[in-house]
Amino acid sequence: MTISRLLLGAAAIAVSAGVASAESHLSETSDMRIALSNNYAGNSWRQAMLQSWEEVAGKAVENGVVAAADAYTTSENQATEQAAQIQNLILQGYDAIVLNAASPTALNGAVRAACDAGVVVVSFDGVVTEPCAWRIAVDFQQMGREQVEYLATRLPDGGNLLEIRGLAGVFVDDEIHAGIQAGVEANPQFEIVGSVHGDWAQDVAQKAVAGILPSLPEIDGVVTQGGDGYGAAQAFEAAGRDMPIIVLGNRQDEMKWWAEMRDESGYETLSLSIAPGVATLAFWVSQQILAGAEVPKDLTVPFLKVTQDTLDETLAATPEGSVANVLYSQEDAQKVIADAKEAM
Amino acid sequence: MEKIISRPWSWSWLAAALTFAITSALTDGSGAGALAYAALSFGAFAAIVGLGQMIVITLGPGNVDLSIPAVMTLSGTLALKAMGSEPGTAMLGLGVAVLVGLGTGAANFALIYALRLPPIVATLAASLVYQSIAIWSNRGLRIKPPAGLADFATGRVLGVPNVALVGLALAIVVWIALERSVWGRWLLASGQNLRAARLAGVPVETVRASAYVTVTVLASVAGYLLASFSGGAALNMGQDYLLMSIAVVVIGGTSIAGGLSNVPGVWGAALFMFLVVSMLNSYGAGAGVRMVLTGLIIIGIVIAASTKRARK
Repeated sequence: MTISRLLLGAAAIAVSAGVASAESHLSETSDMRIALSNNYAGNSWRQAMLQSWEEVAGKAVENGVVAAADAYTTSENQATEQAAQIQNLILQGYDAIVLNAASPTALNGAVRAACDAGVVVVSFDGVVTEPCAWRIAVDFQQMGREQVEYLATRLPDGGNLLEIRGLAGVFVDDEIHAGIQAGVEANPQFEIVGSVHGDWAQDVAQKAVAGILPSLPEIDGVVTQGGDGYGAAQAFEAAGRDMPIIVLGNRQDEMKWWAEMRDESGYETLSLSIAPGVATLAFWVSQQILAGAEVPKDLTVPFLKVTQDTLDETLAATPEGSVANVLYSQEDAQKVIADAKEAM
Repeated sequence: MEKIISRPWSWSWLAAALTFAITSALTDGSGAGALAYAALSFGAFAAIVGLGQMIVITLGPGNVDLSIPAVMTLSGTLALKAMGSEPGTAMLGLGVAVLVGLGTGAANFALIYALRLPPIVATLAASLVYQSIAIWSNRGLRIKPPAGLADFATGRVLGVPNVALVGLALAIVVWIALERSVWGRWLLASGQNLRAARLAGVPVETVRASAYVTVTVLASVAGYLLASFSGGAALNMGQDYLLMSIAVVVIGGTSIAGGLSNVPGVWGAALFMFLVVSMLNSYGAGAGVRMVLTGLIIIGIVIAASTKRARK
């Protein structure tokens, strides 16, 4: 899926929300209520996610597609706290819960209770393993592999890589790391000469990279997990080293830096991450399930890629200091569902 | 030599020097200089918040400020928003940061004093409010610092990072206040025995209030500098500094029981905390091994420093 298509889809939301529900053969959902259960709000990605939800789900409520679409965020990012929150949402009588989970397994009990009470549970980004819930997952391994594959096209002779990992012990970090490892195994001309944890935060990544750089040989490429590329770039700059190819993670400050570097010296790289708007895809999927559509339990959402050609366009569409985003429409959700059915 | 070793701050400096030597062994000649430069840059932030935490911990058992990360985030966010990347607004931003520090410190102490909440509970609860204000005020958008301020924060004078010079200046101010002023004597007296200090005529509540305001002002300044240094404030920018602020105080030789503070030790410990992570990263230790080793090394230093003190 190209970005321009996705952006076009975003622009069409206002129209699609009203029209699509009218022409659908599915049953009415206008008296149904959907809740978003979110475990964390403390970074720019999550803030963009909540805003996307507000925008798309709010519009859907206005147009009478659903009766309510309320967002709830726990304050401490704890699975126990979120489990209690889910119990509350069941008691409040929501018809569907869209869930970004603090843990893939610790919420299974609460999710089971929701299913037993007849509530539709759709998990996304942070998915849950409980079989009764739907999962909108990102192929994080692919995200890691693709970075190495891209570097292989740029550096056919290979070279030294620095890996910046996320938060230790988190599922997503292990998955992306496994993908990068698989990519390096398939492309043995590359060697990972250093690895640090940047916790998906620019300042932590900057600190970690600055600390390990003095002991490293020349670095040709940096593989990342998103939210850490700009910090790495600043550490390389401060150390007075040649700028390697840093794979970026769609943050506006990263893309802005990339555009400046490109204008200065023809710098080329790739940027990829999950769009925070995946929450809106989860919203429409839950709406489709409520409407009676047959939806496979496991759906995959493509990640959002920014290339040299789409950089300017994406940068212009991304608010200052935020992250590149895509808002999904009801048709997008229907298409993702149809694709998943075909693949079965 | 014996006299130097017996000082509680010597252990953190010894540990920092040792980790520096071990990490430098992996680098060629020029690497050591780069490592020292990075340690001074990033150590400065830990040292500044550590100085504040040290003053509070000196007040005695139960006194600690857990709102440091939220205060750093709030001050960085509000200061950068106020400056809006406009040139020549660095002082305005600093003013906003200091005001945030004064306000949050006063609020923390109001909760502790008026509601008689334990400081751990009061500062933790208040930090949720500060974090929420930071989220609400800018929804996590990163605003770039003015170019001049960013250049200053990442720049150097005579090869020493500017942020380290600021950290050093603040350390000297705190050292003079603790060692040479009446306020410092009052603080130590309150930390050693609050009741005795009160009976001796020390205005203990004023001393406590000033300590809780000082720590948030220092955290605010650190947040302002860190946001300028790393190209903008982020909602999770303070996260690293909660345990860090306490660790540098304890490793630095300040008594966790209160009544004894140690300024040079905080700087040594701040350098050490950066260098130990760099050392383990450079030797390719995984995240699990790194955390276990960091924990063990910290415990080792604390034991070494405290047995030395006990024997005296």
